[in-house]
Amino acid sequence: MDTSERFFPVEDVFKMQYLEQYVQSVVHYSSRYNNQLNYCYSPTNLLGKYEKYPSYGDFPEAYFLRSYGKWWRYSGSAQKEYRPQDFDLLNAEDFVTLEFGSAVVPREVFIYEVYNPGAVIRIWGRLSSDTKWHLLWEGFPQKCAATSRKFTPPLRKINSLINILRIEFNQSHLDYHTAIDGVLLCGYQPRTIIKFELIRRGLTQNKLATSSNSATVGYWETNRNCVTLNDKLAFDYINLLPNEIILKVFQCLDLKSLSRCAQVNRRWNKLAQDQTLYRNISLKIYWYLVNEQTLDFFINKIQNVKKLDLSWCNQYQISFNKRLDYDYHCKILSLLEESSRTITHLSMNDNYFVDSDVLNKIVCCKELTELRLHHTFNWIRWPKDQLTKLVTLDLSITNIIDEDLIQILMANPNLEHLVLDLCEHLFMMNSVVETVTLFNKKLKTWSSWKTDSLTSDAVRKFSLCSNLEELDLGWCLLDSVPGDSLAEIANGCKRLKRLILSQWRGATDQSLMPIIISCKDLTQLDLIGIKNISSELCEKALFRLPKLRLLDISFCDGVRQEEVAIWRQQYPHITIQRSCEHTVTDYM
Amino acid sequence: MHSLFVTGRLISRALFNGIHNFSTATDPKLQQKTEPHLVSAVCGFSKERRIQRLVKGQFGDDAWFSAKYKSTDVLGVADGVGGWRSYGIDPGEFSFHLMKTCERLVKLGRFAPTNPSELLASSYYELLHNKKAILGSSTACVVFLNRENSTLYTANIGDSGFMVVRRGRVVRRSEEQQHYFNTPFQLSLPPPGYRADVLSDRPESASSDNFPVEDGDVILVATDGVFDNLPQNIILNELIKCQGERCASRLQMVANSIAWMARSLSFDETFISPFAERAFANGINTIGGKPDDITVILATVAI
Repeated sequence: MDTSERFFPVEDVFKMQYLEQYVQSVVHYSSRYNNQLNYCYSPTNLLGKYEKYPSYGDFPEAYFLRSYGKWWRYSGSAQKEYRPQDFDLLNAEDFVTLEFGSAVVPREVFIYEVYNPGAVIRIWGRLSSDTKWHLLWEGFPQKCAATSRKFTPPLRKINSLINILRIEFNQSHLDYHTAIDGVLLCGYQPRTIIKFELIRRGLTQNKLATSSNSATVGYWETNRNCVTLNDKLAFDYINLLPNEIILKVFQCLDLKSLSRCAQVNRRWNKLAQDQTLYRNISLKIYWYLVNEQTLDFFINKIQNVKKLDLSWCNQYQISFNKRLDYDYHCKILSLLEESSRTITHLSMNDNYFVDSDVLNKIVCCKELTELRLHHTFNWIRWPKDQLTKLVTLDLSITNIIDEDLIQILMANPNLEHLVLDLCEHLFMMNSVVETVTLFNKKLKTWSSWKTDSLTSDAVRKFSLCSNLEELDLGWCLLDSVPGDSLAEIANGCKRLKRLILSQWRGATDQSLMPIIISCKDLTQLDLIGIKNISSELCEKALFRLPKLRLLDISFCDGVRQEEVAIWRQQYPHITIQRSCEHTVTDYM
Repeated sequence: MHSLFVTGRLISRALFNGIHNFSTATDPKLQQKTEPHLVSAVCGFSKERRIQRLVKGQFGDDAWFSAKYKSTDVLGVADGVGGWRSYGIDPGEFSFHLMKTCERLVKLGRFAPTNPSELLASSYYELLHNKKAILGSSTACVVFLNRENSTLYTANIGDSGFMVVRRGRVVRRSEEQQHYFNTPFQLSLPPPGYRADVLSDRPESASSDNFPVEDGDVILVATDGVFDNLPQNIILNELIKCQGERCASRLQMVANSIAWMARSLSFDETFISPFAERAFANGINTIGGKPDDITVILATVAI
């Protein structure tokens, strides 16, 4: 890299103070293991100094991501790529955005990983008053040994101030949840306001003779190095091709390449803006570039759009520029309005700008079959108007209330996949389940992780959904007794493939046995924290379920570690999870 | 001319103010007045006579913590209910984790500085959401000293408690909450299925109290092992000794002596302990101390 050779660190020019700081606040995150108010496993555990490092284990004092491995992607409710040609090579699945007390020119970042390390793939940095993200590091996910790790990636050398870090994860290669205990940002802090402003505005650039901005490639930026035309071969064969062929080729290109093609010549420019190329749009992997101009560009081309993914596109969320905020919000509204006639798939996960206005526009898109609003928290009430063709609905980590949810369920008889994880405003899950059994006979996936208003009577009603394939009821029955509800489910839902019963502390061998006898298609069974189950039950599950691939018996005190070791040898095709917190002595 | 006069006056005022502020800032008495805090010492014994593995924050089934966050000093004790041993559950675990969680919440600042019962409640719900099921039940007593208004905020569930002594008199003492004799109110996380048979009080049912404290006040936070075995006048005699004590090691000596007296008397089979008196009042004829785990946290308010 020629830029790095010419790099001239700003701290050599100015006298600056070296500063080490831990996280001051958590701005945003896409994944959470626990409810908002709990500190166990929550993102707020990243605040301040690390607590558990260098211990290694499943500690409630660290930040846990909700998913791991490929198991969540196998799920029927998982999102299929809307525009497969726009893929992220590193495949970022989750992120967390952290704010630090003082802005520094970053030189080192330490990430304290205390359980299953190796999931960090990218680190971004930004100044809260600015909108530009700087890529500090990226790299492939790593296979690491099972020890805690202080991860110090080699950062790109930049001379920009940063007080916000965004860490992206790809945990698809991990055997179990990853956990992070703390993040330390080290760098140089300008001592005076003048120096601060000089660095912030990049006025040191001339002096330092460097182009530190090469980190982020502009969206519509010209990349002149690509076009090295040899004069002797200047005859343009491609220009002989008819438009249809060129369009066909263009259809296979990702947005970045399309934008480059648009700069070749007038004809290509016109073709690259053809509406047919933008049937499916996914801006998720370009989240750091999407601004109101980007949306503006799409507004004219979106009349025939089928699938639209605006997840993570939160460009201005942390900046304090209300005007930009407002403009961007308006663009989203008009984008939805333009696409409302044809759009069938819409995903706006972790999008800060989803509020009641945006929701009102969304419910006007009558053709929608898939709607994903994971972790959108700026709305409370669902609009009166209803969608009627939904097949997939993801409302995890939202403020949806029972009454509105029931209305949605009643209006959408074709619903197959419903995700309600961590919805803390659902207090009458029993009536929700009852509505599902009456109106949504086609339901295949039900996921209600950590919604604790569910009772065993309601669980019993799931037996009426005979098409059910996936049932995630983790942490739902913390301290009540399931009774015969599992036997009923075993009777009614013969097609069950995935069953998550984490922390059903009242379940016993007897209540679980019918599931193992009748549900022969079961591939994933999660029994975390059920103290009462014995090793005989696990053995039967391993032996009798021919399709079983994942059995999670972490924190099941009734099963001994030695037995698990034997089973792992006996059933090599089955992943047996056995996570343990370390004993009390580790507290010291 | 006029403007020059005004400027001159402003400058001289600013100078005077600067000097004035400087002189008050160095005044040691004034500076201390803004910072009341607790000086504390801890002592305790496990009921078991044989020496056990020592873990910080735990004496047998009892547990304690002390922590501070910004303008609040926090002390707490909890006593695990021993009846769980027959169910194969370690009673110390619940109380220990309850206190550990309280400590952590305080250190993170996730509590209301005027509402200790809320701290108990949120700590209890944290335990419920731990992957590792921590079962059992416990009494608990948490004391906050809010430095901003020099007020003590307390919350108490069950028969652990606190006592505040000022100039030789008991000015405040916690009330015991009991369902019936020898069965205190308790926070519990029973194994599922036992819920109906187990006494379980809501964390919100803690009795809360608040009152202003003065310089030199002595605060004793202890489990029932102390209050059941030591009559109030004996405790009082000891506490008077450390009225206004600022030295942590001398405070530690008093804490040691209270804990040691409680321990000796708990194994004294002829002593008429407060526990024996209450048993007698309930028609149970017993005599002697009540062997129990003992935890004493002693603190003085230094203003």
